Amino acid sequence: MKLSARTFAIIAGVAIFVGLPLLFYALGDAPRRTILKEALSILTLLAFTMMLGQFFLARSNETLLSLFRPPQIQKVHKVIAYTAIGVIFLHPALIVLPRFLEGGIRPWDAFVTMITDWGNLGIVLGLVAWGVMVVLGVTVFFRKNLIPRFTLRYRGWRYFHGALAVSFTILALWHSIALGRHTDLAMSVFFVTLALLGFALLARLYWAAAPKKPSNALISGGAAT
Amino acid sequence: MTIKSINGCIGCEECVKSCPCDVIRMERGKAVIAYPADCQICHLCRMYCPVDAIEMAPEKSIPVIVPWG
Amino acid sequence: MTAPNDATAPTRRTFLALSGATAGLASLGMAAWAQNNVEIDVDAVTNTTHATDVLVIGGGMAGLFAAVKAHDAGAATMIVSKGRLGSSGLTPFGKGFFVFDPATETGTIGDFVAAVSRSALGTNNPVYTRQLAEHSLDRARELTDWGFFDQTLANRPFMRPITERAIPLLERVVITHLIKEDGRIAGAAGFRLDAEETVTIRAKSVILCTGAGGFKPNGFPLGDLTHDGSIMAYQIGAKITGKEWNDGHSTRSTNPAACYDGWGDMFERIPSTNGVEVHHDLGVDINYRAYMTGNPVAGGPGAEQPTDEIAGGPFVPEEFKNRAPPEGGGPGGKGGAPGGPPPGFSPGANVGGASAGMAIHKSEGLVPVDDRCASNIPGLYAAGDALGSHMAGGIYTQIGSSLAGSAVQGAIAGEAAAEYAGLADTPVIPDARIAEIVAEILAPLRREAGYGPAWVTQTLQGIMIPNFVLYIKKGTMMQAALAYVEELRDHHAPMLRAANMHELRLAFETRNMILSAEMKLRASLMRTESRCSHYRLDYPELDDENWRAWINIHQSADGSMQLEKQPFDAWPI
Ligand SMILES: Cc1cc2nc3c(=O)[nH]c(=O)nc-3n(C[C@H](O)[C@H](O)[C@H](O)COP(=O)(O)OP(=O)(O)OC[C@H]3O[C@@H](n4cnc5c(N)ncnc54)[C@H](O)[C@@H]3O)c2cc1C
Repeated sequence: MKLSARTFAIIAGVAIFVGLPLLFYALGDAPRRTILKEALSILTLLAFTMMLGQFFLARSNETLLSLFRPPQIQKVHKVIAYTAIGVIFLHPALIVLPRFLEGGIRPWDAFVTMITDWGNLGIVLGLVAWGVMVVLGVTVFFRKNLIPRFTLRYRGWRYFHGALAVSFTILALWHSIALGRHTDLAMSVFFVTLALLGFALLARLYWAAAPKKPSNALISGGAAT
Repeated sequence: MTIKSINGCIGCEECVKSCPCDVIRMERGKAVIAYPADCQICHLCRMYCPVDAIEMAPEKSIPVIVPWG
Repeated sequence: MTAPNDATAPTRRTFLALSGATAGLASLGMAAWAQNNVEIDVDAVTNTTHATDVLVIGGGMAGLFAAVKAHDAGAATMIVSKGRLGSSGLTPFGKGFFVFDPATETGTIGDFVAAVSRSALGTNNPVYTRQLAEHSLDRARELTDWGFFDQTLANRPFMRPITERAIPLLERVVITHLIKEDGRIAGAAGFRLDAEETVTIRAKSVILCTGAGGFKPNGFPLGDLTHDGSIMAYQIGAKITGKEWNDGHSTRSTNPAACYDGWGDMFERIPSTNGVEVHHDLGVDINYRAYMTGNPVAGGPGAEQPTDEIAGGPFVPEEFKNRAPPEGGGPGGKGGAPGGPPPGFSPGANVGGASAGMAIHKSEGLVPVDDRCASNIPGLYAAGDALGSHMAGGIYTQIGSSLAGSAVQGAIAGEAAAEYAGLADTPVIPDARIAEIVAEILAPLRREAGYGPAWVTQTLQGIMIPNFVLYIKKGTMMQAALAYVEELRDHHAPMLRAANMHELRLAFETRNMILSAEMKLRASLMRTESRCSHYRLDYPELDDENWRAWINIHQSADGSMQLEKQPFDAWPI
């Protein structure tokens, strides 16, 4: 019984966070380019969906907590997040790298033109989102040293981490809707829905945690079984 | 349909500047194909676009006059 | 009620389809006579003025060197171009740059000039042929320093020397008028594509680097060039030459307009240099083949060439027979020729006229009166494809010499113009003259109704592009075409409409193409022989007795087009 619920959760997760973006990609009418370029696009789309997925692979997701042990969830959260951050870290470079293989603008020239296009809101949002994401990644890496510095210790760290994640998500989502070649209406609605659900989970957790009464009551009230 | 579509435009105007025939113009921060009939299908816009946003097609959008049929 | 059952009348459905098609063309700006739904407030158009010593018009290879050298010779210099520096005109597409390097060549420059003259059947001006060889290495070295031979796209390397020297650069400004005051050049005027603004530039000296032109043909990246420089210069009294020669590039019969695809990977190649290799690359031989044997013509770019001889046709000197590669061939072919077929294209089916309306590079344009690119208008110079220097003659001879020729002549014209400007007084252009020019520029925008430039262009193409008009020439046919062209000149050019700045450009380009067509027909009618790329079915032989001469065209006082001969070995009088 427990096992099949777990399997179901995994399948559902994969379907939502891998299947749906692939589906919307396939249904979208952005022109298909070379296999390499399309592969990089898909990789980036998946990486961003994975980042959105982190809101659901956390303490905020009661359902998951009831199915898996926290260290298990934490481990998956960590592996997926580092991978996704790695891909998005390279995202600006991945856009221009295929130009090595063709005539036309040289990759470095393209890169410079792109990241200095500050008159464009989408580019600025992307650059800031990228910066926030780097901070997110670096602070996670050094969290052992950082946690003691927060007044609220671990809870403070969680607020910090959550705030960075939410900021990144808003900035990156806006960036991708403004500029993304595959972020058509369907993909945008999908991303926004995931983001809003994720924020809601987080908000519920924080609101629940804020009053200094035993949190169980509130949370279990909301937990679906 | 000459220059066919622009997807993922970042509004840098490189294509507008590098089109010899003034086919592309800016509209609300994005490049749009304003005068497709004048496209000579030379691909300079595509080659100058830093984010590879431009998709080309070999067909012309208006009747083509050639010296023999 | 009985209705006559007329079988020829369109059914309601086909009628709707027909009118739908017309409406489709209209929405593409192809409508013929129509109301002019002006999109801008013409009364609010402003005029910006600039002043400089040397004004360079054109942002190709010639314009680049003209500006750099005029600046380096001490003149305040400015560039204006209707397109982007290094990304307009033909320059972005040429990839082979001829260099005469004495260290590697076996022959002398004298040998080279003699070989070109033999292939060109005397049509080349040996002074300019020699100049090309003498200066090509220096220009190639400068281009190397600027990074031209490191990348596909020319804009960045071209910007290097311009930025370093802080030379003012106005891009996307279409020049429509040259201004002459007191018998010498005084500046130029035009309009911006991106703003509702006319531009007038006062200059002591002007260098036309406006490239060549054509009838906006399909399959050659010539859509932005309409011989603007020649026409503007003609209208202020300059002499124009070389209009009877033909560039004979062909394109594929599937999607003939797709010039990128037609040229294989050429447009994506990084430029390189090449040494002496003199050909007699006709191009128009395929037009003759199509004329005699029907279509389609096999032997397109990248295909096996047909080996059967067709009787008659353009003459090729014995020495250069079988040396001409099929329409170019290798990298950086002649004036540029396609390499192998791109994937997905079957070699073979081929159609000519890709560059209709363009002559051999450097053969057509302003008549030089000396070896320094000066025209007969004091202070007005021209270089590159805008100068009728006959550097290569009326035929493609040295491969890759077109880019190098533009570079070499640009540099020479730049220095000459700076020198002239150093001695000239600052010109004065009366306000009334400026007002008059501005009114002329804006006229198509002010017309309440008129002919659509795109429609007139298509009409002109229909007259001029067919194989039997300007390629396989006959007196009667050219007379007939001339009658059409005169009609366009007199009753359409003055009634062109424009709804915005883009169409305003098209209107002037269309007017220029009509005048260029007239020049081409008149010069071709006058040359009653066949030589190099000029082939007449009614005068198929070379006529050395009467035709060792170029044809110069100028506008007479009454506005009519006058033609005269200039012997091959003489400068104009
Ligand atoms: C496909 C192709 C392949 C070629 N291959 C080779 C090759 O391999 N080797 C070789 O040597 N040559 C080659 N050529 C020819 C060579 O590219 C040209 O001869 C040369 O580039 C001409 O340079 P230019 O500066 O004289 O004129 P262009 O490069 O044509 O420049 C003309 C300039 O004038 C500007 N202009 C025109 N009208 C106006 C106006 N009214 N107002 C303002 N500005 C205006 C244009 O915007 C442009 O910037 C090739 C050409 C083509 C099309």
